Amino acid sequence: MLDYLQFVLAPQMVTGLSFGVAVVLVALGLTIIFGLLDVINMSHGEFYAVGAYLALSLGGLGVSFWLLLVLVPALMIPIGFAVERGLIQRVFNSPDRHVSTLLLTFGLGIVLEDLLSLTYGPNTQRPPTPIRGAVEIFGIMLPNYRVFLIVFGLLIVAAVALVVYRTRLGAMVRAAAYDRNMAGSLGVPVKTVFAGAFAFGIALAGLAGVLLAPIYSVFPTMGRDFILLAFTVVIVGGMGSIIGAVVAGLGLTQLQAISSLYISPVWSDPIVFGILVLVLMLRPQGLFGRLGRA
Amino acid sequence: MHEALPLAAATSAPRRDRLGLAMLASHVLAALLVIACLVFAFIARRADDVFYLRLATEALIFAGLALSVDILLGYTGLLSLGQALYFGLGAYTSALALRSGISFAPTMAIVLAVSLAVSLAGGVIVNRVRGVYFALITFGMAQVIAKVVYNTRELGASDGLIGVPIVPIHLGLVSTSSASPVGFFLFTLAFMMLIYLIVAYFLDTPFGRILIALKANERRVPFLGYRPFTARLVAYVLAGVTAALAGALYPMLRGFVSPELLSFTTSGNAVITVITGGAGTLVGAIYGSLLLTALRSFVGSWTTHHLMVIGVLFMAVVVLFPKGLVGFVRITLEHLLEGRR
Repeated sequence: MLDYLQFVLAPQMVTGLSFGVAVVLVALGLTIIFGLLDVINMSHGEFYAVGAYLALSLGGLGVSFWLLLVLVPALMIPIGFAVERGLIQRVFNSPDRHVSTLLLTFGLGIVLEDLLSLTYGPNTQRPPTPIRGAVEIFGIMLPNYRVFLIVFGLLIVAAVALVVYRTRLGAMVRAAAYDRNMAGSLGVPVKTVFAGAFAFGIALAGLAGVLLAPIYSVFPTMGRDFILLAFTVVIVGGMGSIIGAVVAGLGLTQLQAISSLYISPVWSDPIVFGILVLVLMLRPQGLFGRLGRA
Repeated sequence: MHEALPLAAATSAPRRDRLGLAMLASHVLAALLVIACLVFAFIARRADDVFYLRLATEALIFAGLALSVDILLGYTGLLSLGQALYFGLGAYTSALALRSGISFAPTMAIVLAVSLAVSLAGGVIVNRVRGVYFALITFGMAQVIAKVVYNTRELGASDGLIGVPIVPIHLGLVSTSSASPVGFFLFTLAFMMLIYLIVAYFLDTPFGRILIALKANERRVPFLGYRPFTARLVAYVLAGVTAALAGALYPMLRGFVSPELLSFTTSGNAVITVITGGAGTLVGAIYGSLLLTALRSFVGSWTTHHLMVIGVLFMAVVVLFPKGLVGFVRITLEHLLEGRR
């Protein structure tokens, strides 16, 4: 029994946790964009892929991994800003904002994915693991890189929550999410906050791309499968909820990790999407409330 | 559902109102499309072509899927990101029936019955929510079914079902077969036009006006004495059956079905087709499908990156022509038709 825990269950849970932390980073960006702008960003997965490819090419030029962790999100911010200002704002005031922004970002995702496969080719590539070796904790062997990923990712999530809930900037963001007209009349630069939040969400997706590239390889369609899970996390947690994204992200990935020990892993996708449908049926607002409401 | 006097009076009036005029304009465009398709079939027959006829047949089949998305998006205002579920349902049901030796007409009847039952059950599930949640629940449901089919060996798993036999089709006076390029193209054209006319008829009745009212302002509809849930459910079932009947032709054309038919890519392509062709025009779905297939084939002949071209075109339509290509043309046509009276 103890052997089972030590050599099967615990490593599986830690692997699930490192994946879960990356999913939370992607879902966090998605949920902030929805909570604030009311936009379902269908191209979010492709921005995650863009982050991974940026890490791959800059890493190939000799940039160190530690610098990439800062550099790639910093490069993603102007891209996100331009996309929000140049594309999303154009249909933002159309009568059916949900549908038109969803369609626009869906088209953008298709273009980005094809652009990546045009630039880098359709083949799978894999950057070298930045931290080698493994560490033994309570008799459980853990690869160093995964431990780093978990700690670093959780720190980022904590920092985001701190900024949103404990700073003046965060108060402006929440105010704009709650009532954009009122916030605007009180002097919050709503348009800049929107573009900034979109850019920030994209940067988080890019960061997740950098972190996961050494584990799961890099290929043009990598965003597609990943984003389905991120969407499920956002819906189960409650669209626009930061705490919801964390709870649902870690919970669902643990469910995937543990269930794959007992049933064939090919069934983990139907289970996750089944939960998505059930939550939408029974509690469409998700487990937690929206940004700006709590 | 109760009878509403103003609506009934409007539709029975000799002079058509705006919506009736728009539908008439769509019919004119549909007639033009049929003529163009007949000319194409004639030329292709003379040139002994198989490839382009098969491609055009496939485009017409996928037009049925796009039409089904348009019933929901263009009329009821519900964006379905999982309509491939019903297209795939029709394709798989038809493939299974044909492989077990059932002939054409009973196969279509089975598809009709199965899709009616499944879309009724699915409609009860997805119509609990609306707006953006509707898009996500349809998406989730289609994903569940797609993954289950992908993992089920009895349904061919990731390989799909191959070896669907050639089907003879007897239609009273004429008969053709799914193996004849021209015959099956003309049959598909007639079949799709029949579906188009049935759907157009439904949407031109007072019931169709309730759907349009739902799209415009769902909260007001109950005050007029209608139940939004029932109307949305009927629209959903109509869309599901349309997609399934179109999907049923797919294995006859290609001789196989694959889980790709159920995938999000298929659903997404149908949405792209409808938006490019013109949401809420019905005939736009058919024009869109033929146009995009032609574009894919044309661009694909000199680069494998046709997705980028289609993606940019799609984004341009969403931003610049939210009414789509047919929506753009139809307004001019409506003015012409109105002036002639």
